[in-house]
Amino acid sequence: MTRLSDHSKGRPTTNELCKFLSEYSAWLIGCGATCIRLEKNVRRIAAAYGMEVELTIMPRHVHISVWEMSHTNAVTTIASVANTPISFNINTQLSELSWEIADKKIDFSDATDRFERIITDDHQSRWQVLGLVTLANASFCRLFGGDAIAMSIVAIATLAGYYLKQIMLSRNIDIRVTVIACSFVSAILGATDILFAIGTTPAIALGTSVLYLVPGIPFLNSFSDMLYRHYICAFSRFTDAIVLTCCLSIGLCLGMILMNVGMF
Amino acid sequence: MWIQILQDGLFAAIAAIGFAAISRPPKRAYLYCAIIAAVGHASRYMLMSQELAGMHIIPATICASFIIGMLDVFLSPVVHAPAETCLFPALLPMIPGIYAYKAFGGLAMCILCDQPSAFQNSLFLFAHNALTCGTVLLVMVIGATIPIFIFKKVSFQATR
Repeated sequence: MTRLSDHSKGRPTTNELCKFLSEYSAWLIGCGATCIRLEKNVRRIAAAYGMEVELTIMPRHVHISVWEMSHTNAVTTIASVANTPISFNINTQLSELSWEIADKKIDFSDATDRFERIITDDHQSRWQVLGLVTLANASFCRLFGGDAIAMSIVAIATLAGYYLKQIMLSRNIDIRVTVIACSFVSAILGATDILFAIGTTPAIALGTSVLYLVPGIPFLNSFSDMLYRHYICAFSRFTDAIVLTCCLSIGLCLGMILMNVGMF
Repeated sequence: MWIQILQDGLFAAIAAIGFAAISRPPKRAYLYCAIIAAVGHASRYMLMSQELAGMHIIPATICASFIIGMLDVFLSPVVHAPAETCLFPALLPMIPGIYAYKAFGGLAMCILCDQPSAFQNSLFLFAHNALTCGTVLLVMVIGATIPIFIFKKVSFQATR
């Protein structure tokens, strides 16, 4: 990233600010922020340096123009949206950074350093996530009326499926292929309650076993973008979510056919 | 009755913590996700319970998601995180997964069956569950976003 040329003043040039904002936007939207948050944060930062900004948010790119208040000098950049998993930790820290800049708590040089640290220091224990997701999906099963046996089966199906998801994503396998494979494995394990007739709510066990794959955040983000009239991003996120839901359904269907269990 | 309500809140809290973990929130947000999800889901349970309000899932979801939105707006400055950080994980346990599953089943049976009466039944199953699922999703987001619209200043200054 370009460093500040006049550190003593703590105010970037139009070029430097535009480059910083384009990277900031690419990461903020990539980590799962809504369009309205991106707009507000970017405008806040630009206003702190006495500049104006206009941005176009597209599903895979962000287009930013930065002006001096006098409108004499404008710089435009297009940045690709960062290909990163959803992270509210990054989202939170980037939003905090925007307020620190707006409240003049840090200068531009510190802001760029802080930004680098935020995007590189986001680590999470995969085993902790695996355990929590397993417990969550078993609880989900209970919320839908599943008995203790259904909950146990769902926990095992989720553990296996989510572990497979972590392995496949770490090897950069396409997310759609990953969702089909994970849903297939979880459906096979979830169908054991029907096959061996060991519980009283086998259909709930099977139906819930794949629900950890439902792309909830893209669905909710798409509705939020729609309410703020960001229709292109809303439609794109909704389509992404629908594609993943279809992949989930394909895996579920294949698992059910293989285990020879009916829908209802 | 009250034990069932508490149970519902407890399992919703566990579900919210687990699903929150997928979206990597700051560690301090987990507790608040759990509290908001528990209150929201237990509210919906009470509203839908025949012994209490006996409401349909759609109006019950609007009320519960509005409660979630209000709690979220006023707790997000305490958590020092954007409103979505706790809002989305708290809403996830209310996602109508079983309706989606049944809608998908109905669609598959529509394609596979060859008798008109069976087709009609499957089509009803598909349409009813898909419409319910879609409407619940929509009202859930609208209900939770209204407080963010009303209290814009609070919700967008949470990280200040």
